[in-house]
Amino acid sequence: MLSKRQNLIETIRGGNPDRFVNQYEFLDIILEAPLRTRPQRGQTITNEWGVTMSWPQDQLGPFPVHDEAHRAIKDITKWRETIRCPSVEFSDERWAPAIAHAASVDREDKYVTVFFASGTFEMTHFLMGMEDAMMNFYEEPEHMHELIDFLTDYEIRYAKQIIERIRPDALFHHDDWGSQVASLLSPQMFREFFLEPYKKAYGFWKDNGVELIVHHSDSYAANLVPSMIDMGIDIWQGVMTTNNTPELIKKYGGQIAFMGELDSGPLDHQDWDAKVIAEHVERACRSCGKHHFIPCLTQGLNFSSFPGVYEATSKAIDEMSKKMFP
Amino acid sequence: MSKIAEVRAHVEIGKTKIVPVLVQQALDEGHTAVEILQAMIDGMGVVGDKFSAGEIFVPEMLIAAKAMAKGVEVLKPHLAGESSLSLGTCVIGTVQGDLHDIGKNLVAMMIESAGFTVIDLGVDVPAEKFISAVKDNSGVNLVACSGLLSTTMPAMRATVAALKSCGLSGFKVLVGGAPVTREFADEIGADAYAADAGSAAIMAKELAAAA
Repeated sequence: MLSKRQNLIETIRGGNPDRFVNQYEFLDIILEAPLRTRPQRGQTITNEWGVTMSWPQDQLGPFPVHDEAHRAIKDITKWRETIRCPSVEFSDERWAPAIAHAASVDREDKYVTVFFASGTFEMTHFLMGMEDAMMNFYEEPEHMHELIDFLTDYEIRYAKQIIERIRPDALFHHDDWGSQVASLLSPQMFREFFLEPYKKAYGFWKDNGVELIVHHSDSYAANLVPSMIDMGIDIWQGVMTTNNTPELIKKYGGQIAFMGELDSGPLDHQDWDAKVIAEHVERACRSCGKHHFIPCLTQGLNFSSFPGVYEATSKAIDEMSKKMFP
Repeated sequence: MSKIAEVRAHVEIGKTKIVPVLVQQALDEGHTAVEILQAMIDGMGVVGDKFSAGEIFVPEMLIAAKAMAKGVEVLKPHLAGESSLSLGTCVIGTVQGDLHDIGKNLVAMMIESAGFTVIDLGVDVPAEKFISAVKDNSGVNLVACSGLLSTTMPAMRATVAALKSCGLSGFKVLVGGAPVTREFADEIGADAYAADAGSAAIMAKELAAAA
């Protein structure tokens, strides 16, 4: 039986996996690593970037607050006057739990993985609000390029720190680039603003020991796959059914792998049903096949919003492995 | 190309600085404010169609709406008392329990560009607030309910039911959002469903025309 890591490599390279890679099993994500302040459920906080984040009790996650009083960047032409780059230096005490976790991982079996969020695209609209960000790509492109470069340099400075501390094997990087049915930017605009910065950031991680780049965008982004490949993404996690994943695998398999195809929305809810999950898993596994594909909920971490859904999904994937890898 | 056609074409491609100049030139040439406004509304109709077809994306739609808004600023003093283009008033909001506003904002912008007065109630809007807005504002002929989360679909169902049974009349209910389907819209008794901001504007116009 292949190790989780070997099975992942066989899967994404189109070799001889002996089972489906089961969701996030190959990543050991070091969530203890210091990064930035996030609100807990019920809290509203202003983080190190000056972004106010609110997580109401009855919501599944936090939201940036973008009323007039709370937008961190109100005028993009003055972003340098209002934004201060957070420090990436943390004390030994802050790093200790992450280092201990990384040291406990069997690297023969799993990838020690850095979690990085939010990516540069999300940061642009977290800082100034979606409408302003979208229009500034047209109206103030020079300032947007400068801001994106600044955010990229921050990521690289953070990468230096965490690489030194835990010597990661993989990066799990969040940046949502679309809605459920469309990318937010056209492929041309996306390339113009984000290709080179991401090549630089992902290139840095890879030049410094990170073997695997897993990028999360639980959205439609099929039209951005050529850019993803050029950036150096190995696995796109969060690929939704709206992308026609089987077609993407046919077209791009071998250059990038696809992890998802189990949309969290219809599966991960209060009244979830193991039978329905099993049906979705079977459809995903049969339509996408054994190569360049990892069946996974589209949620951006290895758990579900409602207890039991993630585990039921994993169980259904194991069942499909028994059926399809006799 | 006529000045009116130029206004329309430049709205379509989101020329925020040129549109107000062209609108002023069109006025100077003797075109009525209503004609010019209709040209901009038509231009935004094309923008909505292209968005629905996936030919343009969110920035292009926003920048076109901004160009139109700049043109309307020039037109406003000339539009006083002219209400022939008003399609009515639309109350819009994201249903209770849901804080997503991006899709709702895009729909509000496109419906406004189509010729409606828009009353935006924001996000996490209880059914009673939708009803109060219908009651408190004159000429409400459309209520648009948005929701992104599958977990808030019950709230959308409850909102539509409350609007339909509140005893007020003269308005239609339009629903949309990622988890919403035409079947779900029918099932909960909504009058119409729209898949995106472009088709929401088209549907809003159809509902207003049919009323």
